Amino acid sequence: MNEPTCPAEISEQISVFESGEIGPEARRELEAHLAMSAECRAELELVQALHRARPVAPSDLADRVVGAVQRHASRPQTRWARPWWGLSAAAVAALALGIGVTSNDVGSEVLDAPDFATELEEEDLWLSGDGLVAGAPALDGLSDAALAQLLEELETGDGGSA
Amino acid sequence: MSDGEEGLTRAPDAQLVQRARGGDPTALDTLVRRHTDAAFRVALSFVRDEDRAQDIVQDAFIKAFRALDRFRGDASFKTWLLTITTNEARGALRKVKRWNEAPIEHTEPVADDRPGPDEGAVLADESARARALLERLPEKQRLSVTLRVDEGLSFREIGDVIGSSEGAARVNYFHGIRRLREWME
Repeated sequence: MNEPTCPAEISEQISVFESGEIGPEARRELEAHLAMSAECRAELELVQALHRARPVAPSDLADRVVGAVQRHASRPQTRWARPWWGLSAAAVAALALGIGVTSNDVGSEVLDAPDFATELEEEDLWLSGDGLVAGAPALDGLSDAALAQLLEELETGDGGSA
Repeated sequence: MSDGEEGLTRAPDAQLVQRARGGDPTALDTLVRRHTDAAFRVALSFVRDEDRAQDIVQDAFIKAFRALDRFRGDASFKTWLLTITTNEARGALRKVKRWNEAPIEHTEPVADDRPGPDEGAVLADESARARALLERLPEKQRLSVTLRVDEGLSFREIGDVIGSSEGAARVNYFHGIRRLREWME
């Protein structure tokens, strides 16, 4: 029996068929279902095709990364972890006006994110839940409440880690 | 490689993170080797340029290890690293500001009428075509499919990486995979 589309619960299992994140019993049940459903078999073929051609890092990249991490670890950390709530009054004013303040100055990006950062759905999310900045803040994506919270935290210095 | 070092290659990430925090270079080395491919795939899905992707991976690892003391273990190390990689890649894209302008040569669909003399060649063609089409998906759909199919992350973990809820990550995956199926037909 074929369905018009592969059911979501089956599709979810198929999606990790190749990466091995499926238990033996679930795998057997899935294989039994696949024997009856051309739609789901087609979806499995797509997942297998994607997985077969997944990119692999150049063989020397891990060595380069290890070397770079060790070099950075041995450097003095005088410029690290400048708190974002330590921005100047001018920067606070710029934020209030919706002017982007870039935070790409490598070496100053280990921060604690305010709660609202993880609630954003915009493509331009600029703070992760782990408190790491990448790129300029996308103020356009923030709600009024989030902007108000940002300003309050900037003013009080209560940026999340205190 | 000593017995201890060999044992580390099978150690769980949480144990390696603990040892890396204590300055164990073998633990650091093992974590990097274990997750370099995943970070590379995520970076490449943004910048589509191997050299640039390698730089992003390097920067992401540096930041991850410098912030290791702040890693609380709420998420897995892999999810945490891929979140950092995603942010790094987004930042890199903003810097160059050429995402929409750049011609994406290798995302053109592979022609269907090329001869495929054996099954292996056909499979390779289908895989290359699927990956090329994957790159055409919107960012969150593309990442959701990549993180699910390539890395086997849960939808909650995917949500953490892409900055969405678990439900949104699931929806992004299903939209992406449906769209790919339509394009592949």
